[in-house]
Amino acid sequence: MLEVEGVSTFYGEYQAIHDVSLRVESGQLVSIFGPNGHGKSTLLKTICGLMKPASGVIRFEGREIQGLPSHKLVEMGVVLISEERHLFPEMTVMENLRLGAYAKSARKKEAENLELVLTMFPKLKDFEKKAALTLSGGEARMLAIGRGLMSDARFLAIDEPSFGLAPILRTQVFEQIVALRDRGLSILLVEQTTGDIAEQSDYIYLLEDGRIAFSGSKDEALHDDVVRKVFLGIT
Amino acid sequence: MREFIEVLITGFTIGIVYYLVAVGFTLCYGVGRVLNYSYGSFFTWGAYLAWVIAVGYAQLNYFLVFIVVLPIMFLFGVAVDQVLIRPLRNRPEFDFSVLLATLGLAVFLDNLVLVIFGPRTKSLPAFLEGSITVGGFTISWQLVAMFIFALVVAVALALFMAKTRTGMSMRAVAQDPMGARIVGIPLYRVFAITFGISTMLCGAGGILLAPRFFMTPLGGWTFLVKALIIVIAGGLGSLRGTLYASFLLGILEAIVGWQLGLLWVMPFWFIVLFAILLVRPAGLFGAIGRKG
Repeated sequence: MLEVEGVSTFYGEYQAIHDVSLRVESGQLVSIFGPNGHGKSTLLKTICGLMKPASGVIRFEGREIQGLPSHKLVEMGVVLISEERHLFPEMTVMENLRLGAYAKSARKKEAENLELVLTMFPKLKDFEKKAALTLSGGEARMLAIGRGLMSDARFLAIDEPSFGLAPILRTQVFEQIVALRDRGLSILLVEQTTGDIAEQSDYIYLLEDGRIAFSGSKDEALHDDVVRKVFLGIT
Repeated sequence: MREFIEVLITGFTIGIVYYLVAVGFTLCYGVGRVLNYSYGSFFTWGAYLAWVIAVGYAQLNYFLVFIVVLPIMFLFGVAVDQVLIRPLRNRPEFDFSVLLATLGLAVFLDNLVLVIFGPRTKSLPAFLEGSITVGGFTISWQLVAMFIFALVVAVALALFMAKTRTGMSMRAVAQDPMGARIVGIPLYRVFAITFGISTMLCGAGGILLAPRFFMTPLGGWTFLVKALIIVIAGGLGSLRGTLYASFLLGILEAIVGWQLGLLWVMPFWFIVLFAILLVRPAGLFGAIGRKG
């Protein structure tokens, strides 16, 4: 469904991503793990059209998408849920959700997706009329995820959904992500630390210094010495 | 006392027109990050286009002025955004280069007025003659028409911003441009529409206020300065602040013009701006350190 081939991305002079290749098959949950500041977010932004790759090819359902503006990609069903959230602070929760369905492709199913989001995160319904800036960290995270789901995406890139969440919420969010995968969505997830989500992933990549340091199924990851030592901290 | 209340009514009406002009200016900055130095020249052009249609060449019915001039102003704004401003985005120092580019455009537009219409002042007659007397107060029909038209535009703008998808996307871009891109809002289209609306609001101000002032090729600069003062007094980025500041300064203008003459209006505006900033450094409704 999504193929990334030899992609490099720069911030000015600084190269954040070096010749990265990966793939996500239809209906898979693929996770990228790696320490902070090693290019995970940059990679997702590059895939979703928020940054331009200097070289390399990105294909979505066979079509080359590198360098396309983000609104075209959202229309095609490629959507990012950012770690920095990027909510609209002075708008209400409901307005934020409705803007999630801004793309033409999302409008048909706006009511249906709203229903889904509100069942997933019932708390958002209570806060419907509150301005986004008044939400707590966890609530804002739910809203960001909810807004992403409103886009009726077929491919979701989720950047550190558990960042700053209490452990209970964290488990809930991961359960929801797995549920989404089981509904047929393809998901590329980024996290700093492994844990429950690694167990559920169909495939795992390890990104270090902007390079793919490891790729394999979760069983391979658990049996790889390098991954175990450097990354999982198991000796 | 009767005269004083009439002056207040005049001030209130000017205030709402100033609100349209100031809100156009602040939208352009808030959404598109463009500090538009050619805004005063747009004002001049709005007024001169009205003159062309109502007095100079076509001599059409006054109300056609709005129907003809406002769409022209909108399209002109979109064209300026596409031709002049869009190429500068994504380049380093956009904030500064766009300032120079719009300043250059202002000089060009002002001189174009000079070449086409000459340096002599022109004036637009009032849209409506006569006046009505209600409860002992005499109000000119002109003022009533101005008030109604400005109110309709202001309410339409508020509804547009609150309810429509385009209005929501404009607010979204103003609040978090990256968030707007993430949900799939086409930034450049929103910038273009915003610039068009901003130019149209400025043109509406030009048409409505032209009968009160003589029109000269450089006359619009006063209104650029006025829009700036209103926006700063109200608090950058606050639409509510812009509204209150517009009424405050509009009423001040009417009172000063009545007691001392119009020449004293600008000094008093500056004094009031100074006083507001002494008490509230971020303006009436501004928050210091406001994001963005």
